[in-house]
Amino acid sequence: MVGFFWGFIKPLLYLLIFIVVFKANSGVHNYILYVTSGLIMWFFFSNVTGQSVGSIVGSTGILKSLNIPAYFFPLSETISELFNLLLTLIVFMVIMHWWGIVYSLQLLLIFPCVILFAIFALGLNLLLSSVNVFFRDVGIIWGTIQPAIFFLTPIAYSESSIQSQYHLIIKCNPIYYFIKLGRTILYDPAPPSWQMWSHCLIISAFMYIVGQFVFNRLKNQFISAI
Amino acid sequence: MTQDPIIKVENVSVSFWQNNVGVYSLKDLITHRKSPFKSKTILNDISVEVNRGESMGIVGRNGSGKSTLLRTIAGIIKPVKGKVTVNGTFAPILAIGAGLEQELTGYENIHMLLALYGSERKNTNAIENIREFSELGDDVLRMPVKQYSSGMVARLAFSISLANVSDILIIDEVLAVGDQGFQAKCMDKIHQIKAQGTTILFVSHFPEGVLKICDTAILMEAGQITHRGPAAEICENYKLLF
Repeated sequence: MVGFFWGFIKPLLYLLIFIVVFKANSGVHNYILYVTSGLIMWFFFSNVTGQSVGSIVGSTGILKSLNIPAYFFPLSETISELFNLLLTLIVFMVIMHWWGIVYSLQLLLIFPCVILFAIFALGLNLLLSSVNVFFRDVGIIWGTIQPAIFFLTPIAYSESSIQSQYHLIIKCNPIYYFIKLGRTILYDPAPPSWQMWSHCLIISAFMYIVGQFVFNRLKNQFISAI
Repeated sequence: MTQDPIIKVENVSVSFWQNNVGVYSLKDLITHRKSPFKSKTILNDISVEVNRGESMGIVGRNGSGKSTLLRTIAGIIKPVKGKVTVNGTFAPILAIGAGLEQELTGYENIHMLLALYGSERKNTNAIENIREFSELGDDVLRMPVKQYSSGMVARLAFSISLANVSDILIIDEVLAVGDQGFQAKCMDKIHQIKAQGTTILFVSHFPEGVLKICDTAILMEAGQITHRGPAAEICENYKLLF
């Protein structure tokens, strides 16, 4: 339950700050709904990676005493965080009624969107948690670059408020595509285009394959290194 | 005893990446610029068979590969060469310093290991048995394991590994730190388990314990089995090492 309340309180806190700091100059219609839809997606990502990084190292005892695939630890963190996200989404969907969300069948598209995002996160978690076994500062480094990724992603501000020569930077950020897809579903009245879906599908498949590949290369050495 | 191998280890080699230049962070790696890992052979072409119902002792110096052999047999470590065939189930290997999660309480460890081991979660009987056998009080089991004394850890670890009837019982030095009363109790329990036909693998530095429990034994040195045979003979060989 604590995880659930965190999933709920953190976005609210950020939302308050952003309303105070950015809302007036954002040039975004219905700013609260715009930010909230992005923040929910972002905090899922930030929580799930933050918790998974140390998941293999943190299960030394079990891994050394039972024949259990190390894969289960980042996987279970991802699933439990996905579950928290679904609860958070339900609560926010109710609150967002006052902020002007339009209830329609389109909102159900958030489920496949979130699943794609979770597959992407799982791939990254496999990569981070397995490399962290050998180099213990991976978690610290990841915690340091996370805020940078957060502000490089148009969550608190709109994409159109950025000068066009910098758009390439934003488009190189994989998180951008998932946030955009989620926001289109929750915030925009129009359904997301198939290009948006295919971007997310390709990115999450790629990340998962990379994560699984690195994990497989390293997994047989975990026991001696943890 | 029937000649029916429950464990068959064929030409197994295990090697680990050894990091002997002290590069444990990406930051160090960038300044060091070379791969810090070297492959080190821990088990070298080992073959051994254990029959159903047999009790085999494993003795040898520290670092000779005893625990690695146990973990390889249990499937926790994958061999780089060779094959391990096992026709039975294991209880968790609970060695000193590994096996229990330090941050969790005694009860949480019991629940987790029972759940992972595949017995029903609601098995209050098993929990009761573990508490009774370990002689640890309710208040102790509510404390995180990191606050336990090494003897208390050994009690809990051994009690958990005995909680479920499995085909193979692996005992890795757990008994060494228990007090005399508990050691005697464990010996009785092991004899009882043995009488039921359970296969036992017993790692110890005390030849007396090996003699009491084991029929056969192997002596390991530098990742290889140097002697094998009746427990009494191997224990003599072991004593000659020092």
